[in-house]
Amino acid sequence: MGERILLVEDDAQLGAQIVEHLRGAGFEPTWWREGRLLTSEGMPEVSLVVLDLMLPGTYGLDMLKALRTFSEVPVLILSARNDTLDKVRALKLGADDYMTKPFWPEELIERVRARLRRPMLQKVDAAVELGPLRVDLQTREVSVQGQLVELTRVEFALLAALARRPREAVTRQWLVEHVLDPEREGTERTLDVHVSRLRRKLGALHGVETVWGVGYRLVPGDGS
Amino acid sequence: MRLRLRLALTVVAVTVPVVAGLSLFQRSLRLSSQEEVLEATTLAQMQAGERERCEASPESWTVRRGPPPRDWPRGGAEGDRGPPGGVESGSPPPRGSSGDRGAFAENGPPPPRGPSGDRGGFDDRGPPPGGGPGRSGRAPPHIVHFPYDDRLVSRNPAAPVLDEELQRDARSGRGVVVRRSTLEGRPVLDVLLRMPWDGGPCAYVLARRIASPDAPIEGLPPPEVLLVPLLAVVAVLVAVGPVIRRVRQLTGEVRASAVSRYQQPVSVRGNDEVAELARAFQEAGAEIQSQLSQQEAREQALRDFLANTMHDVMTPLTVLQGHLSTMQQQAGRGEGMEPGVMTSAMGEAHYIASLVHNLAAAARLEAGAPQVQRAPVDLNAVIARVLGRHQPIARRKKVSLVSGVPEAPVIVNGDVTLIEQAVSNVVFNGIHHGREDGHVAVVLESTRQGRFHLRVIDDGPGIPEEERSRLLERSFRGNAARTRGVEGQGLGLHITHHVAQVHGWTLTLSPSEYGGLEVGMEGEMSGG
Repeated sequence: MGERILLVEDDAQLGAQIVEHLRGAGFEPTWWREGRLLTSEGMPEVSLVVLDLMLPGTYGLDMLKALRTFSEVPVLILSARNDTLDKVRALKLGADDYMTKPFWPEELIERVRARLRRPMLQKVDAAVELGPLRVDLQTREVSVQGQLVELTRVEFALLAALARRPREAVTRQWLVEHVLDPEREGTERTLDVHVSRLRRKLGALHGVETVWGVGYRLVPGDGS
Repeated sequence: MRLRLRLALTVVAVTVPVVAGLSLFQRSLRLSSQEEVLEATTLAQMQAGERERCEASPESWTVRRGPPPRDWPRGGAEGDRGPPGGVESGSPPPRGSSGDRGAFAENGPPPPRGPSGDRGGFDDRGPPPGGGPGRSGRAPPHIVHFPYDDRLVSRNPAAPVLDEELQRDARSGRGVVVRRSTLEGRPVLDVLLRMPWDGGPCAYVLARRIASPDAPIEGLPPPEVLLVPLLAVVAVLVAVGPVIRRVRQLTGEVRASAVSRYQQPVSVRGNDEVAELARAFQEAGAEIQSQLSQQEAREQALRDFLANTMHDVMTPLTVLQGHLSTMQQQAGRGEGMEPGVMTSAMGEAHYIASLVHNLAAAARLEAGAPQVQRAPVDLNAVIARVLGRHQPIARRKKVSLVSGVPEAPVIVNGDVTLIEQAVSNVVFNGIHHGREDGHVAVVLESTRQGRFHLRVIDDGPGIPEEERSRLLERSFRGNAARTRGVEGQGLGLHITHHVAQVHGWTLTLSPSEYGGLEVGMEGEMSGG
């Protein structure tokens, strides 16, 4: 069974939809239809809370305030009113993210996943493994399917920069400024040349993806 | 409580204890001076010849004092005994004295009102040394003397028997013993003096002072002193009169100003606290007036918002209803859903959501600066939320929507809702006006100079140059600005422009290197 999520939402239709989508995404939702004053005893064991603000019973921000006195569980706020004060207050009280209604169910699921993924991202790993690719940031060794690949200094710096933020697009400008030597031909065209050399060395399963309009990102390579 | 009454009570509350305290002090001074005078005069008289008289006839001795009455025979030639000596020599007791109380010989002329009480022995001793019948015309007090021997026994039968405590005090070596008591309601001061000689029937002399019956009650201040609080109250009431008049005038003006919705000024002249209060009211009135006009502006913005919402939302809602109806009919006929209709329906719903957010933002922007709530805003998170919101519709329209942000969060100071709406509008336009299989990219970069640069690039049809400048100039109040259509940019870009202005950012529209539009926003990052 997936991770448990507490949903606090008074609207029956919206609540049912969210529960259904969370289940569909492999989560195990618990649904409260009204606000309750949270205590450490009354709080179910969950990995994330999706909290509506306008609730009968206890107001959402009061629940958040009470929750933060005993728990650091991530909280995603659902704000019906598009009100800045509410959002700022919620973030100050320790909310991790908020969504304004209306929202797409897919968006909610993505947000929940991103929030649950965050602690893993924060781990400082010496080595990054992505599909067949393994980049050891300390020993500066790169291997594809266990085979060591020899890279130049710039190529390794380029790969390492992408590997530090796997699946995230890194802008070409940033790469030019931080990877290339500004003294010697630090242009985006040079960057593209280095990228194409890197891809060639890593082989068909390279995983270095061009992101339209942005730059490059590292994904688990499938050779496509 | 009214101001005058409060002041009067305060004055009374302050002056009464002061007067009472002063009276008590005066009384204690008077009492101690009575003791001292009685002690000193008695001693002086005894040393000035009364000792011999006393020792000669202690059973009938009394102090001779003052000039002898004219109608009495002068006894000076016959001896040392003075006029009162008549008593001592067996002459009948004077008027007002009973025979058996001969010892209480008269020291002066009889009191004007005859015997005072049944104790005729308490004779007046005549006017006090100051002369005249006392300052208020009252009779002077009686003073009588009684001799006692070493054993504190008097040979004078009229002498009061000394109580044990008095005797003990006298024997304990104290030269003077003072007692106060009352006799028939009249205060009595007894001073028992030990004479500066030993032995004899007059070793001790008791000097007794009995206040006259019409003496003022001890402890009560004189009536003129009692007038002080009253006079103070009157003085205060007279003094605060003009102040109260000014306060009343101010009250009237403040009421009138409130009735005129604080447009009529409050104009109490002068340089005192009341005028200062008037100025404070004037300032408060101005503040209220300013808040009232802001409130009116907000209400007007709300009314406009409602009107615009009605106008703008109804059309796409109608289209959405049409699509839903088509889908229901298709489902009823058992036909499969037509993807085009569904995507279009989703697009309409998306448009409505975007429109309502924009109308809300427009209402806030029109209501003025106080509606913009500034706080640190994480632009990376804003971009993530905007992409999340538009990703579903972008996917269905087969538009690739991507972003690239720096690893460290880019923080700016601003209104998170408005900023999010501004970015959202540009992304929405990119998707809405983009071609199928097109791209929209959001790129955020930060410079070392503490500035950020946010670009939204698309490869759509772009906007001709003359149209670009016109788009930013047009006020979003105009109906034309909200024209819905394929080529129209709607309300969104104007709101983006206005939000950028409010935050002090520059907004640029330029052709992108991919053939579409590049919308750039540049501004200061927050210190963090």
